[in-house]
Amino acid sequence: MKKLYSNKLVILSLVLPGILVFIFAILAPICLSVYYGCMDYSGMGKATFNGIDNYKMLLRDAAFGRALLNSLLLAVGFVFIQHPIALIVAAVLDKLQGKAEGFFRCVYFIPNVISVAVIAYLWKFIYNPDFGLINNILKSLGYQEKINWFSPNIAIWSVLIVLIWHGFGWGMLIYYTGIKNIDPVLYEASAIDGANQATTFLKITLPLMKPVIQINVTMAIIAALKQMETVYLLTNGGPGNSTQFAANYLYQQAFKAFRYGYGNAIGIVFIIICLVVTVGLNTIFVEKKEA
Amino acid sequence: MRKKLLVGILAVCMTATLLSGCKGKETKTEDASVSATQQEQTEAEKVEDTAEPITLTVFSNLPDRKNGQGLVEQKIIDDYMSENPNVTIEVEALDEEAYKTKFKAYAMNGMPDVVSIWGQPSFLDEVLEAGILEPLNEADYADYGFVSGSLEGFKKDGKLYGLPRNTDVMGFYYNQKMFEDNGWEVPKNYDELLVLGKKIKEAGIVPVAMDGGDGWPLAIYLTDLLVRVDGNIKDIVSNAIATGDFTDPSIVEATKLLAKTAQSGLFQVGYDSQDYGTAMNLFTNGQAAMFYMGSWEASMALNEDISEEVRNNIRAFTMPPITDGKGAQTDIAAWNGGGYAVAAQSEQKEEAIKFLNYMYQPDKLSKYGWENGVGMSAQDQSAYMTGNETNLQNQFTDILNNATSVSGTPINDCGPSVFKTAMESEIQSVCNGTKSVDDFLSVIGETCK
Repeated sequence: MKKLYSNKLVILSLVLPGILVFIFAILAPICLSVYYGCMDYSGMGKATFNGIDNYKMLLRDAAFGRALLNSLLLAVGFVFIQHPIALIVAAVLDKLQGKAEGFFRCVYFIPNVISVAVIAYLWKFIYNPDFGLINNILKSLGYQEKINWFSPNIAIWSVLIVLIWHGFGWGMLIYYTGIKNIDPVLYEASAIDGANQATTFLKITLPLMKPVIQINVTMAIIAALKQMETVYLLTNGGPGNSTQFAANYLYQQAFKAFRYGYGNAIGIVFIIICLVVTVGLNTIFVEKKEA
Repeated sequence: MRKKLLVGILAVCMTATLLSGCKGKETKTEDASVSATQQEQTEAEKVEDTAEPITLTVFSNLPDRKNGQGLVEQKIIDDYMSENPNVTIEVEALDEEAYKTKFKAYAMNGMPDVVSIWGQPSFLDEVLEAGILEPLNEADYADYGFVSGSLEGFKKDGKLYGLPRNTDVMGFYYNQKMFEDNGWEVPKNYDELLVLGKKIKEAGIVPVAMDGGDGWPLAIYLTDLLVRVDGNIKDIVSNAIATGDFTDPSIVEATKLLAKTAQSGLFQVGYDSQDYGTAMNLFTNGQAAMFYMGSWEASMALNEDISEEVRNNIRAFTMPPITDGKGAQTDIAAWNGGGYAVAAQSEQKEEAIKFLNYMYQPDKLSKYGWENGVGMSAQDQSAYMTGNETNLQNQFTDILNNATSVSGTPINDCGPSVFKTAMESEIQSVCNGTKSVDDFLSVIGETCK
């Protein structure tokens, strides 16, 4: 067996599929994007080289700035609202035991099972000022004014609520699995020492969940940066660009505005931002581990 | 033992094959004995049978194949296939936005044979520059009864690349019964429209259902107002797009009026984030008194999904004139937008053009369209007036016949697609007051430079 693994041809045959997938599915598209990002190209006909003009334009593009700001807001929402709640809910579920545990685990995960298109239209109807659920509840409580939940000032918050609600199940499920892996002996020991529920959570669950939290936070931030489908179907970035997100803006520019070159430039900047964020987060977490 | 069994099975198979061969011979002998007359009769069928099978692909922006324009298109396709049994037509239909995205993907990797197109610079300029469409011989269409000027949007450098399907007129649909029950009257000028809007709102009804989420109906509304302000807008718009300078007083005035209208509450709450279907449902469900949309929705009067009380009472009027404006109510926002073309790289080009020409035979698109109440064709439809037209059809026909001028392509479709995209997004901001009129005009101007 050892002899087999030291054969370079065997090693190559084992590594080659992975390398090929990486080259053709990741590296080549990125290289093509870099190439088209330096072109004035509508996606049809001839492309003309324009150097870094697309990137210069991107720096002055207020809509792209707004899209990045919205992505940042969503990332903050995920990290400071969605995940703390998901972690607490996971801890509570763990304590529930029995049928209730399974039931609520399913209930909290349901939004993740429903298709994005259904979610978007469901919330469109919930938010509708004329026949939406929220305004009708408010009306039955005596509030007659029709609230526009997608008015430019509050539209982004309405969108964030949907996105946080929709992604909640995944975060909770990962935390729940992490909690389930904690050795019950530790809880028994803490109970014998007289620790209450809050102390047990803060002193045992939370410290042992650190690796899971790190993975979840990294995934949440990347998900916030990549956000596209729900926003596209819910508001398409509007009104104006008030709910614009980077991926949606990329799509609009490349496929609606026929600015394929510019769209690719957005894609490249987008990749760089994602890489910087991932490397940054890894550095922070590694430093903390060492400390 | 096993060997014997195998030999047995093989022998049975061989005998069966031989017998079937003899039977085939028998049939052929019988065939040879049919009479000469029958032979002649089947000759034509044989020619058709032996004609090489052809598969045409049609890429359409009409996904609803059971109602309206999509039904008309499908009927023509079915007719063509029954008249040409060797031709199979495969249809791929997507709604407009998805259609335009996939159109671009096809442009890179081989287009279907016959495609839907828009005879407007925002769509056609890039498409023609890329050489995707096959030029057509304009002289072939001399007898097709196209309305004067309707082919212009589909031409470049004197060559014709597509044919228009409709003549589109923009207007306010209104619920006549609701108006009568509440004592409201069709406004004679724009100020009356704004006053009427307030009255309707006070009655707890949405004055005008507007598809503001898509941006383009707002842009057409702006075009309509610009026509009221200046009468003839073609030069103003083309100059603004050529120079990127949108500070012409007429454009500024029309934009201010649009912003004032939107902020006065003429449209439903949240109009700037609501889509076509939501806006239309408000009107067809009786929650809105008016609906600003094109003549292609005249088929609402025949749509049995809409309650009888509403569908029998839908009427239309065009944008009322404004005080001191140069445009009259008979200067209308109308254009020839959608149509069809043949792909330059089609492998079945000859058959595709034959099918395109078949679609535009006067008794096809025009006739079927009129019978199904889907609005006005870009061809002369007078021969198909039956006297059983809906009130809406008659109203739109009168509006078009009595028009003193037509706006041509709406402002958002006059420039490149980057201008269109920016305008349809930014117009929401100027309407809801998050962007000033000057900033809006400056931003859309930048996209033209």
